[in-house]
Amino acid sequence: MDLALFVVLLVLVAIAAGLVGSLTGLGGGVVVIPILAIFFGASIPIAIGTGFVTILATSSATGAAYVRDRLSDIRIGMFLEIATVPGALIGATATVLITHANLDAALFVALGIVLFAIIPGSLARRHIELPPPMPQDARSQYLGLTGEYHDNALSTAVRYQAARTSPALGVMFGAGMVSGMFGIGGGVFKVLALERFLNLPMKVATATSNFMIGVTAAAGAGVMLAAGYVNPIVAAPVAIGTAFGAFLGSRLLPNLRNRTVRLVFLPVIAALAIEMILRGLGLP
Amino acid sequence: MSASPPSVTELPEVNALPPEAYARMTLVLRVGLALALAILGGGIVAYILENPGQSSSSVLSNNPILNYLSFPGLGSGLGAGSVSAVLTLGLIVLVATPIVRVVSGLYYFRKVGERAMTGITLAVLVLLLLGILFIGPHVR
Repeated sequence: MDLALFVVLLVLVAIAAGLVGSLTGLGGGVVVIPILAIFFGASIPIAIGTGFVTILATSSATGAAYVRDRLSDIRIGMFLEIATVPGALIGATATVLITHANLDAALFVALGIVLFAIIPGSLARRHIELPPPMPQDARSQYLGLTGEYHDNALSTAVRYQAARTSPALGVMFGAGMVSGMFGIGGGVFKVLALERFLNLPMKVATATSNFMIGVTAAAGAGVMLAAGYVNPIVAAPVAIGTAFGAFLGSRLLPNLRNRTVRLVFLPVIAALAIEMILRGLGLP
Repeated sequence: MSASPPSVTELPEVNALPPEAYARMTLVLRVGLALALAILGGGIVAYILENPGQSSSSVLSNNPILNYLSFPGLGSGLGAGSVSAVLTLGLIVLVATPIVRVVSGLYYFRKVGERAMTGITLAVLVLLLLGILFIGPHVR
């Protein structure tokens, strides 16, 4: 394929990925990584390296508004990064070592399985605006893991406090490792941990996850970039397209029914997951 | 009177960062992303113009940034006006943007005298730099 056509196609795929990723909450990587590997013939580590680029672009493109509106809890996010960043460093290193061992087929299959695993995760979100308050644990009290934001829909200031930090740290380490290995999945598992364990309001959980995925992806992307697995000719058009698509998605989101969006796109992602697994197993 | 859950009033006081911390972090994200996209956008157009006959398969099998993944290599590449070096710089800015946000968090936690959060943020920063400067090059 001609270079100019290749770059234009990548921008278009990335715009779609940014849109789908932000509307479903799954992130742009779930579209970009399988399409690069299946249709463009990219090697799996290059596809994963590009997946980090979609996360970085999405997090920075949509994160500014969350921070400005104080929905991203910097304190809670930073505290949990102490678990996600080591996870991501281990995960990205594992991916590089697996590639060196010529086990790309195993990565194909594992990626397909992770794609499947995060689909129920994205449907299982609680959809309760404000959870009933739970007591802070000792660590949460010591670090002052409390916050307040103004809820525009409820027209009131909402206070919250973080509970159960120990299991949350465990889940965050796992989320970091998965996203470090595969360039996907970090956001879904992070939102689940923030909602289910820390008991944060949905909006704060979503915005804090958005802050966190950028930092976690920087850890994974740092390793992959320094190891030579981010190709700028692929990454540049994908970064531009994803940032545009994610920005567009964040504008459309308030006007769309979340469930409808998910029902439309999740079968597409499931189909890509099946194709990844079949490729990895060497089946047509 | 049933507008808010009763126990919300019992929650402890919120110790928020100063307002300028949020403004600064918003600015970091906006400027970082805009800068990265401008460099990557300019770089990719220049690359296409410079390599008109190249095919996508040759792009995918030859990663042009491998020569620019050290500080001296990147410096000399940029000095020589290499498009691939410029693209590498764009990727570095993209990766660095969330890291600068961590640095900015470190600054404000230290400024308000929160020792535990300062320590945690510093540890996150050290780990991030460890990945880029040591782990990545080591497993290349």
